[in-house]
Amino acid sequence: MLGQYLPVVALLVLAALFAALSFVASRLLAPRRPHDRKLAPYECGIIPSRETPERFPVRFYLVAMIFIVFDIEIIFFYPWAVAHRGIGLFGLVAVLIFSVAVFESFVYLIGNGALEWGPIAEVRQAVSRRFGSEVVRPGVRQVGLEGRDAGNPTIEGGP
Amino acid sequence: MFAQAETVATPEVLWWALVPLLVLAGAAVLLLTVASLVRRLPEWLPAAWTIVAGLAVLVSVVPLWNEVQDDGARSFLAGAVGIDGSTLFVTALLAVAVVATALLSRAYLTREDLPGVELYVLLLLSAAGGVVMASANDLIVLFLGLELLSIAVYVMAALHLRRIQSQEAALKYFVLGAFASAFLLYGIALVYGATGATGLARIAGYLSTTILLEDGMLMAGFGLLLVGLGFKVAAVPFHAWAPDVYQGAPTPVVAWMAAGVKAAGFAALLRVFVLTFGSWSGEWQPAVWGLAILTVLGGSVVAVVQTDVKRMLAYSSIAHAGFLLVGVQAASDRGTAAVLTYLGVYTLLACGSFAVVTVVGGAGDDRHGIDAYRGLGARRPWLAGAFAVLLLGQAGVPFTAGFVAKFGVIAAATEGHSYALAGIAMVSAAVAAFVYLRILVALYMEDRHLEDDDEAGAVEVDPAPWGPRIVITVSVALVLVLGVVPGPLVDLAKDAVPVLVGG
Repeated sequence: MLGQYLPVVALLVLAALFAALSFVASRLLAPRRPHDRKLAPYECGIIPSRETPERFPVRFYLVAMIFIVFDIEIIFFYPWAVAHRGIGLFGLVAVLIFSVAVFESFVYLIGNGALEWGPIAEVRQAVSRRFGSEVVRPGVRQVGLEGRDAGNPTIEGGP
Repeated sequence: MFAQAETVATPEVLWWALVPLLVLAGAAVLLLTVASLVRRLPEWLPAAWTIVAGLAVLVSVVPLWNEVQDDGARSFLAGAVGIDGSTLFVTALLAVAVVATALLSRAYLTREDLPGVELYVLLLLSAAGGVVMASANDLIVLFLGLELLSIAVYVMAALHLRRIQSQEAALKYFVLGAFASAFLLYGIALVYGATGATGLARIAGYLSTTILLEDGMLMAGFGLLLVGLGFKVAAVPFHAWAPDVYQGAPTPVVAWMAAGVKAAGFAALLRVFVLTFGSWSGEWQPAVWGLAILTVLGGSVVAVVQTDVKRMLAYSSIAHAGFLLVGVQAASDRGTAAVLTYLGVYTLLACGSFAVVTVVGGAGDDRHGIDAYRGLGARRPWLAGAFAVLLLGQAGVPFTAGFVAKFGVIAAATEGHSYALAGIAMVSAAVAAFVYLRILVALYMEDRHLEDDDEAGAVEVDPAPWGPRIVITVSVALVLVLGVVPGPLVDLAKDAVPVLVGG
């Protein structure tokens, strides 16, 4: 009875082997010419120069949520793509209903400005109406300003 | 292996039987899409759309009901979804609760200056989840419906953006609700382990034809399922979330929680326990018996010491869950009919009562102390009179629908020879009556002079907008009419006895 789990075990072993072999191979085969930039924690982007802010702008979470929307979509699309000949019209209708629901949430996100980075005119007006003219700048502009033009004094916690 | 394109036998779908569900889900998706694409939607549109969808469901239930009464219950989608009298009865109740909640929400959102498409969309989705639960013929489908119902309600509880209590309520509800879902899922897994099926009809067939030598796993499955569903319907000792959540959540959402979520939860309890595990009723009846006693007593007694009317109504809704459990415990057709009657009456009482609370709560939704109700009888005689009728209905006074409901479940319990349970239920009904009398005394007897209001802190209640007004009027009228002529509702509930059809 446990024999039916054999493919799973085989896949597990293969995956572990692949990971281990990749590590070993990159150790053995890759040329080593280290310099400062390459030894930094991230090879691309901005060199981190201060502690991460404790509160991330909420837009990052929105991007994460959009990602989840597409992630779930793929989970259902892949098996359907494999089996779509077999399940025919029934499967097509099911997948259509599912994708309408998925894209609907995407429409909602975009309609509510989830992809509009930077200050939106309406938000800015609403904020200044409620809190006065001192408009809060969205956080994305604040990240990684160090090392660039530090001439902007309004940045909270800037140099 | 992947290259083979053999045709898989796909299950049959009875689209006409899915119409209520399609209307609710379709209305939700369409409303959200339109609201996302159109910048400035007329303010009345989402509420009107939701009400139209609710009424459409009510209308669509009628031909389905006739079909089911004539040709019997059906099951489709490979036996995963069924449609029978109780499905349609609960669907109709959910539709009524949707209409009432939408009417209340429109007035509430305007008063609180809250943005408001999401509430209606979530309400429709939540109702769709309730319909899935009521038509589930498979434990997995039941779980799906429960999650759809619950997740929407978690968000609805948080929708008052500026009240910290609303956020707190949502978080508490979410954490405890997720906990309950885990219990339920574990119970489903154990029942599957014991019977080898998740389809209700197959489980029922297996249990009635097989003698299990080792029934520990099945018993544990029963227990966990009962805990999971007990959380959802707020049965003591799984009720801890209810008072806090009811107190903090926006009042129209509380009306939906009390009416809609409870109806769907009990529809699930009836389907799973009375119907599917019916042949093993000797094993689970004692557990439900204990749960029912704890719930009727706990809800009624703790309600007495509350000073916040919303909390008081929360505990009274726990007590109502106890009475419903008394009907479930009977595990008979009569008990099922009594539970469905009770659900019908309670939907009216809950919507009406929380409509009054919405109105009295005032801007900011925080005047819920019993002080806010003092002397209301003199200042707002119609509102106070309506609340009085609804409270008497909740107490189960004769000539209100509440009496018919309570009489039904207690009669079902005595018919099942659960005399102790019936006795305790009657005693706690008397205790609970004290709670409602306390509010009535505040309404009429503690009549303060209006001149003293400033120092006494009593507040003037704004006149009710037309939405809550309709809800209050209709519910009071129905509570009185059904109290005198209970026949139609009781007969409908009798015809709505659930049936399992194998797929």
